[in-house]
Amino acid sequence: MTSTRTELKVSAFLAYKFIAKGNRGTSALTILIMALAFVNLMFTTSVFDGMGDATETQVIDTLYSNIVIEPADGELYIENPDSVVKKIINVPGVIGTSAQYVTGATIAYEEQSGAWSIRAVDPADERTVSTVPDMMIEGEYLSRSDTREIIIGKEIAGGHGGSLEHTSLGGVVVGDTVEVTFANGVKREYRVKGIFDTNFIQSNQLAYVTEKEMESVLGIHDMASQILVKTDTKGEEDRFLNQFVELGVHEDIKPWIVYAGIIATLTQSFDALNALTGAIGFFVAGVTIFIVIYVSTVSKRRQIGILRAIGIKESIIVRSYIFQAVFYAVCGCIAGLVIMFAILVPYFIKHPMVFPMGDVTLLIEQKAAITRSAGLIISAAIAGFLPSWRAVRETILDAIWGD
Amino acid sequence: MVERMGRDGQDTIIATRNLSRTYIMGKMQVTALNRVTLDIRRGEFAAIMGKSGSGKSTLLHQLGLLDTPTEGEIVIDGVEISGLSEAARTRFRLEKFGYVFQEYAILPEMTALENVYLPAMALGLSQGECIRNGMDALEKVGLTGRADHRPREMSGGEQQRVAIARALINNPKILFADEPTANLDSVSSRQILELFRALNRDTGQTILMVTHELEDADIVDRVIWLADGEVVVREG
Repeated sequence: MTSTRTELKVSAFLAYKFIAKGNRGTSALTILIMALAFVNLMFTTSVFDGMGDATETQVIDTLYSNIVIEPADGELYIENPDSVVKKIINVPGVIGTSAQYVTGATIAYEEQSGAWSIRAVDPADERTVSTVPDMMIEGEYLSRSDTREIIIGKEIAGGHGGSLEHTSLGGVVVGDTVEVTFANGVKREYRVKGIFDTNFIQSNQLAYVTEKEMESVLGIHDMASQILVKTDTKGEEDRFLNQFVELGVHEDIKPWIVYAGIIATLTQSFDALNALTGAIGFFVAGVTIFIVIYVSTVSKRRQIGILRAIGIKESIIVRSYIFQAVFYAVCGCIAGLVIMFAILVPYFIKHPMVFPMGDVTLLIEQKAAITRSAGLIISAAIAGFLPSWRAVRETILDAIWGD
Repeated sequence: MVERMGRDGQDTIIATRNLSRTYIMGKMQVTALNRVTLDIRRGEFAAIMGKSGSGKSTLLHQLGLLDTPTEGEIVIDGVEISGLSEAARTRFRLEKFGYVFQEYAILPEMTALENVYLPAMALGLSQGECIRNGMDALEKVGLTGRADHRPREMSGGEQQRVAIARALINNPKILFADEPTANLDSVSSRQILELFRALNRDTGQTILMVTHELEDADIVDRVIWLADGEVVVREG
């Protein structure tokens, strides 16, 4: 009996000849359509992945850093945060820490007021875990010795084109005085020293004062509501968590993702949208290949009959069409990747999309590219199989001499 | 295996007994072949002739395993055909038969040589063997100089000779030809028939050819005349 290897060889030979010596215009157009189908599949995914990545980056850079150490259960503050920092600061990969007080407060300016979260930080430490100090759009960041000075995000200040203008203070500028009423009832006036814009709606709703100032408000010393820890890699938080526990940190240690509920919401929504657009994309690509192969089998109907008449097995013929379909799909994936990397990605780096989580560019994840390519190739293989299988079901006489 | 000798005692390569083929066309039943019994001897060059609609192509299709008879028995090279599966029939065609069709039934995407060695490749021969055997087959039809040409670069007669070379590549037991000269001019037709004659004479190739050209009767060993699906005359 003919070996599978022989059959594959003949199928590949037929497919190669049909593609290489067939109508090149048809081949080029088919590959172009496949490339566009692939770009369609990848583009949506890349935007969603880019949004997810931008959100993750913002959450880490402007809100929680990589790891958050909180007071142990039942405790309000971490006592002597320096002792905790000393335990972990020399762990390889830890590149910064910032002990903070966090409290709620009402900030008022003229007739406007609202409730926001205020963080109290050591400005020098904060620079090691956050990019907020680099994102001042007015005024300056805090200095360690500052008292009665505050910096606020643009969603608090208002007047800077934020998304929450209606709940803002309506246009505070540097030098204005705002009245802050802390959760413990202490009320103080602060000069606005700076306004920052992180491009992230959540971190733009924060206000910062110095640690020294907050301790005078709260009447406590050498404590912290949380310690943010910056690591040199993302995604290995659990490893650091285990190391911190081994080093005797008894507080509650959590990775940033725990606080990023928005990511989970986004991911779930994106997954649903991705599945929908992906299914449509695969279907469109499959139908395209089906039509191309169908037209080919109809136009080569007699040729298929003759091949069968001279003893070429039906499976060889069907496989030759599957190979053609797969070839078109593979070329389409490659051309699609070229379009993505050479045109679309550079374009969106230059002209990023503006979303509430910040500027978003296309992120092409290797896994997404592989799964989309595999999906497209499988769709093409099925779409190549169906019309060719149908074609070889016909009797040889009908194929050669039928109407 | 069924060993069978012809009724005249010579080695029979094809034997049919009461072979019938009917088609259902709408509510009509059309009998294309009616209880045909005949023997073809090994090494014979036979022509099937008859008027249009006499059943000559239908008979060739049954013997060439391109169609399945409604009734009757076919034994080819000792093998009872009705017991073969579709896959076995395909294999049988590849190994034992060669076909030449009326139209130049070669693939336009391939060169002459590639068209010729495709059946050899399907049989599992190596690339080297395919090329060597392909060139040998092209030499038999006098087309070695056109090996790398594609069909559109060749005349009708040359394309038909490529088809003959393809039919010969696997050293078939029987060469079936279905009106092989119908689309050719008289010069090319004569060349093809002389080629068949030479193949039969020099190599003992069994050839069964359907033709409607009366003068072709002069070049074959025997004519099987068909009328209304029945064998009416035999000439040796």
